[in-house]
Amino acid sequence: MAAKASGKQRPTKPVAGARAVSSRGTASSKSNGTSSGKPTKPAPKAAKVRAAPPDDLLEKREQFIQTFFRRGAELTEELIREDEQLRSRLGELERENAALRAHVASADAIRDMLVKITQLEKEKRELVSRATDASHTWSHSAERFAEIEAENAKLASLYVASFQLHSTLDLRTIVRHLKELLAQFVGARVLALYLCDEERGQLAPIASDGVPLAKLRRIEPSQGPIGEAWIKGSARWVEGDSTRGTLEAPAACIPLRVDDRTAGVLVVYSTFEHKPSFVDVDFELFKLLGAHAAAALLAARLFAIHGGNLPSLDAFTEIS
Amino acid sequence: MSPQYSCLIVEDSPMMRQLLVFALARIKNLRVTEADDGIDGMRKLANAKYDLIITDINMPIMDGLKLVKRVRSDATHKDTPIIIITTEGSQEDRQRALALGANAYITKPIQAPQVIAKVKELLKVTE
Repeated sequence: MAAKASGKQRPTKPVAGARAVSSRGTASSKSNGTSSGKPTKPAPKAAKVRAAPPDDLLEKREQFIQTFFRRGAELTEELIREDEQLRSRLGELERENAALRAHVASADAIRDMLVKITQLEKEKRELVSRATDASHTWSHSAERFAEIEAENAKLASLYVASFQLHSTLDLRTIVRHLKELLAQFVGARVLALYLCDEERGQLAPIASDGVPLAKLRRIEPSQGPIGEAWIKGSARWVEGDSTRGTLEAPAACIPLRVDDRTAGVLVVYSTFEHKPSFVDVDFELFKLLGAHAAAALLAARLFAIHGGNLPSLDAFTEIS
Repeated sequence: MSPQYSCLIVEDSPMMRQLLVFALARIKNLRVTEADDGIDGMRKLANAKYDLIITDINMPIMDGLKLVKRVRSDATHKDTPIIIITTEGSQEDRQRALALGANAYITKPIQAPQVIAKVKELLKVTE
């Protein structure tokens, strides 16, 4: 608008060509000699030939220049926008890239963890298997240990019984030991010891516990369970409850054997309430007493008959 | 080093004493002393301190219940654990022994594993 107001003014941003035309125009007006009056050199041919362009051309040029600059500005702005968009897009892509990298890294980590989990699962299975084996072994060992302990206790009982039975040649002491063995090892509440009276062919009671001796009668061969045990030479006992035995139906009858003969019978009529039935060690003890008690009793009796004197050495040397 | 324990067995029956000694031999580091009856037991208690006393109830001269009473009234042995062993399985005897201060009660015929378990429990033996 400023250009229009001054009539023929040049655009704000002059073009090199336009400036050249203007300067030549000025030079032409000076050469007409109206200002200084000095003779001037004749104008060059080119300057003299050219005249000022017509207004419409100038206007077109002006429009072209304005359009040119406007398009340039628009293009610049567009380029700036595109640049901004591209920068924005680049930022987005970088972020996406970082996210993808993180994702990949995370996937790797998960994969590693899965591998680790698999390994740990395998180790766990192995450990569980080993623990199960160890548990079975321990259980088996514990059972075996209990069995050995029970066997040991049984052997200890038998050893003590045997030891006490043969540790003396005093008849009274042996009889007391027999009663103690039955009472304290077997849990016999009522018991009796019968010995064979070969002259009368009877069994005679010689000691008892839990029942007066006078209350016990002599036994004839094969009379009741005691007589049968005596004649047959084999032990008899009740299966199950041993606390309810009676004088007629004792809980156990153990023949006392020596050299294939029955020298007497140990009878357990009944056991204490807290010993409701016979157990393995009782049967082992019955066997031991059946095999050893008669010998101990007879040896003690013979020793007593000989006045407690040891036999002369000749008695032993004659054996060989 | 494992701790050493001492136990006094008061029992008039030699075979029961022998059986108890066999059973207690299963416990490591346990030294066992035997007494024939209550009087003998008190004599041995006067000369030494024991970690545990096992006594029969039915004994001549001085029975197990009297022994428990005497031990509990003795300043030196009043805290010593006592196991009563008897042929009587009655609740009455058990209550009497426990009332007098016995710590445990075992009835005859004794089971070695049961005796071992009780002794270990009272001595606080873990192995």
